Amino acid sequence: MKQDTIAYDSLSARPLPKWLTDQRDGLNTYQPEKFEMKEDRTLQVSLISTGVVILLTVVFLTIYFLRKNKKRN
Amino acid sequence: MKRTYLKILVIGALLSLACTTKVSEWVLLNSDSEKYLLVYFHQNELTESEIQQNKELENHFTPANLFFKTIKREDIEKPYYALYFNNQLISEYAGSAEMKNIVTSPLREKTRNELMAGKLCVMVYLKCGNNEKDAKGWSTLNQTLEASPFGKIISLVELDRNSVEESLFVSMLLNVESDLKEIQEPMLFGVFGRFRALEPLLAKGISAENINLMIDFFTADCSCLIKDQLPGQSILCKGNWDDPQPARVNAILDATPELMHR
Repeated sequence: MKQDTIAYDSLSARPLPKWLTDQRDGLNTYQPEKFEMKEDRTLQVSLISTGVVILLTVVFLTIYFLRKNKKRN
Repeated sequence: MKRTYLKILVIGALLSLACTTKVSEWVLLNSDSEKYLLVYFHQNELTESEIQQNKELENHFTPANLFFKTIKREDIEKPYYALYFNNQLISEYAGSAEMKNIVTSPLREKTRNELMAGKLCVMVYLKCGNNEKDAKGWSTLNQTLEASPFGKIISLVELDRNSVEESLFVSMLLNVESDLKEIQEPMLFGVFGRFRALEPLLAKGISAENINLMIDFFTADCSCLIKDQLPGQSILCKGNWDDPQPARVNAILDATPELMHR
């Protein structure tokens, strides 16, 4: 009764049962999830993080050797 | 330990079947019938004989998809029984003798036996009394089933709209949708599962295309969408639905995999 008849003017206008229209339109079957492409930023993130690591290492080593040389002098 | 393995095996097997079971088989195995309600309306306190009579009736109706209860009402002249489905009155009875056959009838018994025997469905063709219209729909139906690969596992029964013996069955079928009683056209009900009737095809709707869609509906894999919004309505019927014969649709689909729904 949940899919009960809706109002109509004549027998020819009477709607087909919902189970039938769903079957015809392929709506009774499992509808797979639609996958959408998302913007891929992994390369940018990877390049930036590599750059940051290299810069930090250079800065750290520069400071380390400068201090070491200062002590020697 | 063996029991645990067995449980895991059974659960695994059930899970693997979950999405490949066909609609007709899944509904028969898993979907309980909706209940009808039989009410005994009485004005005074129940007498011993009334209590005994109602007990006998309840025992006679078991097992059927029927609840029974008594209600005291001041505004009635005589006690009576009333049969309801989803708060809709189906019929009224003055005494218990009239009601002996409300849960069963020859055609309902036959339909139930066919469903339990593993048939895909039973197509109930409800004739309107107009010979020309009835013959046209019947011919279309027979031709379509003859051409269908599933024709042999579908039972076809004719039912006269004015049948006295099957009057309650007719009444319940016409209750599947609210306007069916006013439509004087032949109707085709697909009955499946534990005696569930789909909303019918009627008049020009009884076409080869629509009949094949009905067959497709029954032979499709049972999706969650169908399980959640199971169409149709249960018909009152006495009988146990345990241990049906294996669904015969699977043998056909195994032998001819091209018939599988894609």
